[in-house]
Amino acid sequence: MRCEFSSLVDVLRRRAAEQPNDPAYIFLPDRGAEPLSLSFAELYASARTVAMRLVERGQKGDRAVLLFSPGLDFIVAFFACLLAGVIAVPMMVPRRASSRDASAAILADCSPRFAMTRCDLLTGARPDLKDRFRTAPLDWVFVDSRIAACGEPQNLLPVPGRDDIALLQYTSGSTSAPKGVVVSHGNLIENSEMIRNVFGNTRKSTHVSWVPLYHDMGLILNVLQSFYVGALCVLLAPVSFMQRPLSWLRAIHDYRAEVAGGPNFAFDLCVRRHRPEAIQGIDLSCWKVAFNGAEPVRANTIDRFASTFAPYGFDAKSIQPAYGMAEATLLISADRRGGGPVTRRISRDALQRNQIVAPRSAQDAQILVGCGRQLVGERLAIVDPEARMPLGPGLVGEVWVAGPHVSQGYWHNPEATASVFRVRTASGGAQYWLRTGDLGFLDEDGELYITGRIKDLIIIRGINHYPQDIEETVQDCHAALRRHCGAAFSVPDQNDEEQLVVVQEVERTFRRQIATEEIIASIREAIVREHEVAAREIVLIHTGSLPKTTSGKIQRHLTRQMFLAGSLSLA
Amino acid sequence: MPAENPSEAAIRDWCVEYLARTLDLPGHAIDPETTFARLGLDSANSVFLIVELEDWLGLELTPDLLFEHPTICELAGHLAGRAGR
Repeated sequence: MRCEFSSLVDVLRRRAAEQPNDPAYIFLPDRGAEPLSLSFAELYASARTVAMRLVERGQKGDRAVLLFSPGLDFIVAFFACLLAGVIAVPMMVPRRASSRDASAAILADCSPRFAMTRCDLLTGARPDLKDRFRTAPLDWVFVDSRIAACGEPQNLLPVPGRDDIALLQYTSGSTSAPKGVVVSHGNLIENSEMIRNVFGNTRKSTHVSWVPLYHDMGLILNVLQSFYVGALCVLLAPVSFMQRPLSWLRAIHDYRAEVAGGPNFAFDLCVRRHRPEAIQGIDLSCWKVAFNGAEPVRANTIDRFASTFAPYGFDAKSIQPAYGMAEATLLISADRRGGGPVTRRISRDALQRNQIVAPRSAQDAQILVGCGRQLVGERLAIVDPEARMPLGPGLVGEVWVAGPHVSQGYWHNPEATASVFRVRTASGGAQYWLRTGDLGFLDEDGELYITGRIKDLIIIRGINHYPQDIEETVQDCHAALRRHCGAAFSVPDQNDEEQLVVVQEVERTFRRQIATEEIIASIREAIVREHEVAAREIVLIHTGSLPKTTSGKIQRHLTRQMFLAGSLSLA
Repeated sequence: MPAENPSEAAIRDWCVEYLARTLDLPGHAIDPETTFARLGLDSANSVFLIVELEDWLGLELTPDLLFEHPTICELAGHLAGRAGR
């Protein structure tokens, strides 16, 4: 099906004209303070005012980093960029304590003209930000969602073409070498249509989300999807959700929301902090699409969530495991609304060898959760990553994707773009595919199951961490820790949540003089400071005992296996 | 029910016991003079600590509190002052 809109700018004009007074966004501040809201007409007026400022001070194709604390200001800034033909670069506000997050490298990579933020973030809460970015020649643009609308000279604003770039999504690559996924206006509108189609969203599909807006799931699957279908999106700050996860469920009830989702851990958190007295009288029967993505979807999580909240009218069939990544704008697979999750019992042992067979015993059984099927307008294939030959149902290979939602590549990075976006199968055909780096298989019904990862990537609470970054942080902690001789990876804990483990070689000459406890505490501290994750285990091992290939590449998978088997050579 | 004005020492002991449980460490490994970061408390676990303290003390606390009072001792001192008011 062809989409009726040419771009989100087109959608914005139409919504402002056809349903001007409908609320587009509501932000719920913590602890019951007065909600902030924006109607479609207000959103258009505010965004236009800010867009005019961008047009006056820059030109089409300039980049603008978006640095906002939770609220509606980000949304106004984002649409202002779309209207002005300026490329939006959503960014996490760097943490105060961290010295080495990705922000400096992102600025260096995309050389933005503008930095958009709220005035009070820069002058009040975070005066350090201006200093942090002082080396970049930035033109600061202050945005407030309640900005007064200016006059009408909107014909100065360009009309975006399908191939014009709408945003850069920096979710890939390490801290030191981040990769910005180029998302065009065409990509956005195509993926928005795919999401609408599979979830069956309409103007009545109110969304409630707490996922950060600099995260592609927060932006594309919540803020832009509700907008695309002309529905309301109610937003909570991520920290409000972490403190009071049940406030998310409360908001779903209050606003009779149809769509709300997040990474797997969010569902676990709701179960863990469930207090009957805190959600008395809540009715969740309105909730039709509870999507779960951005980290592996666990069968246990789904079961626990469904049984805990069934007494409140929650329907297990509304749970929608999904799979996606920024390289494909966002969504790659999901099942249709109301289908409910699909699971499959397989042999854990055989899966280690990438084979999908029935379990030999109860101990050998592992339950995989399906991540849905190919979307309308998309092609999904499982391919042998070495031979590049497509594989049939039930065979594990790399997930490859093609379609109009697949990005044209990484910003100013032809090498990485060629290896990830410009690949063809060996069976012929001119089709370019996106290599996801994820392993999985399709069953006879076309349901996609993700079973592992070729790329070295650690996902904790929906956030991607590159092992190289963590290893470097570790090795900077003490002279006794050998450079390029460490491995970071994750293992599931007793609740099936991924936990960070670090294995690091110690220099032989230091062995008798080091205070192990001190070094481990320093490593722990540095990892929290720089990466915001707690290391569950830090293991120091003998010089030269870290598994490496003959060419000196760190074998993180093998190190992980040895850690689990207890066969590392402890220092 | 919130606790009745616990002493600084009681808050300190409560934090040590809570963190030992959360971080899966023996109680003696939690030095109340050590920074939360050094104990390995990430932002998610910081938020959970704050929530538990709110419930226990019946106070409204902000997540920035652990940044402003970065050790158990300093936090307990601050909270005992507030709870006693």
